[in-house]
Amino acid sequence: MKTIYNENETKNSKLIKDLQNLPKVKTPENFEYNLMTRIKNKNFGKLEEEKQSFNWIKFLAPSAVVVTAIILLFIFLPSSQQIDNPLLNPAQKLDSQSIVSNSVEVGSDLAKKNSNQNNNSVASSGNSGSSLNSSNSQNRANTRFPLSTTGSVSLDDYISGSSRQRNMQRGNIVNSGSEPMPYNGFFISEKPDQNTLNKYRAQVDSLRKAQMKADSLKKALKMP
Amino acid sequence: MNKSLTELKDEELIKDFQDSNTLEAYEILVRRYKDPLMNFVYRFVGDRDVCTDIVQDTMIKFYLNKDSYRSFAKFSTWIYTIAGNLAKNELKRRRRRTIFSISNNDDEKTPQIEDKMFRSPEKIADGEIRNEIIQKALLKVKPVYREVVVLRDIQDLSYEEISEITGLAIGTVKSRINRGRAQLQKLLKHIYKE
Repeated sequence: MKTIYNENETKNSKLIKDLQNLPKVKTPENFEYNLMTRIKNKNFGKLEEEKQSFNWIKFLAPSAVVVTAIILLFIFLPSSQQIDNPLLNPAQKLDSQSIVSNSVEVGSDLAKKNSNQNNNSVASSGNSGSSLNSSNSQNRANTRFPLSTTGSVSLDDYISGSSRQRNMQRGNIVNSGSEPMPYNGFFISEKPDQNTLNKYRAQVDSLRKAQMKADSLKKALKMP
Repeated sequence: MNKSLTELKDEELIKDFQDSNTLEAYEILVRRYKDPLMNFVYRFVGDRDVCTDIVQDTMIKFYLNKDSYRSFAKFSTWIYTIAGNLAKNELKRRRRRTIFSISNNDDEKTPQIEDKMFRSPEKIADGEIRNEIIQKALLKVKPVYREVVVLRDIQDLSYEEISEITGLAIGTVKSRINRGRAQLQKLLKHIYKE
């Protein structure tokens, strides 16, 4: 690198010599006098004004840009990244998250609990434990499904016909109950397993049979 | 007391001016630097009257901002930086004026050195004309290169000092000097053709 510069210096040696030999320009004779009178009279012209206004411009201009950028960032960035459904309340949002992960488990759990409930009701209709179990299973089901408590319905009451639904606005009347079902968001639809469907059908059939037996027993008891 | 002040170094003088705020030290520094600065600004900007004003403003700035000088820097580089900045501002102002000027012709932009081709070789050999040609060619060189060439080849400052004045790395200073010299050589090819 050094050699390159040295080569250049030798190459331009004539020019450099001429530049060095250029006559030295001097200030006019009254230069000092003019300068000192300016200082004594405090006639600094623009130089002093620049000194005062300079800092303001230097500080305000970039800070205004930075503040605007931050404000714009706060306004636009979160809305573009987090698309919130205003129809979903926080509890429902949580439930909708859990339903996705537990969708496979729920089916099998419910089946077990319903079979337990069924066994209990058949074996001892007056047993208080069965009602406890059923209420527990109902609670668990409610916490897992993204449905509001007002929209749920008791399966026993529904089968017995004590809470017949008159509201036929909604297709899924069992889930929605007596009140119209609120918007619960969208869920991943899964094709039901044939075995699980058969299980459910068998359970419903057994429940109906049990109900019929219970009715016939009631009639028999009422008979003198 | 005054005799002893003249013997002091630049850095000691400005320290004295900062501490006691007496004008004697300031005047000595003005006397020392007015001509070197005038020469530097004249070779950089070109107009004698404008250059006198720039050097006056440099001295006023030095007077007003004496406390902004820090003792770890050389006084000469500090005052050259002030003068250089004021000279650059003047060049910017001129450029703006030429952009907005309606009477601005393209003919004015063509290097006037070409006219010297029509002069006789005896006249070119004449020192005064030669110096005039060199000065005109110098003003045609890009300001970024011109500044460092003037500081190095006319003011005879070291690369380190130029680096401090311009705020550039030494490597950049060296390369700019070479580019400036090359441009100058090109503009003065009729003198150095041999």
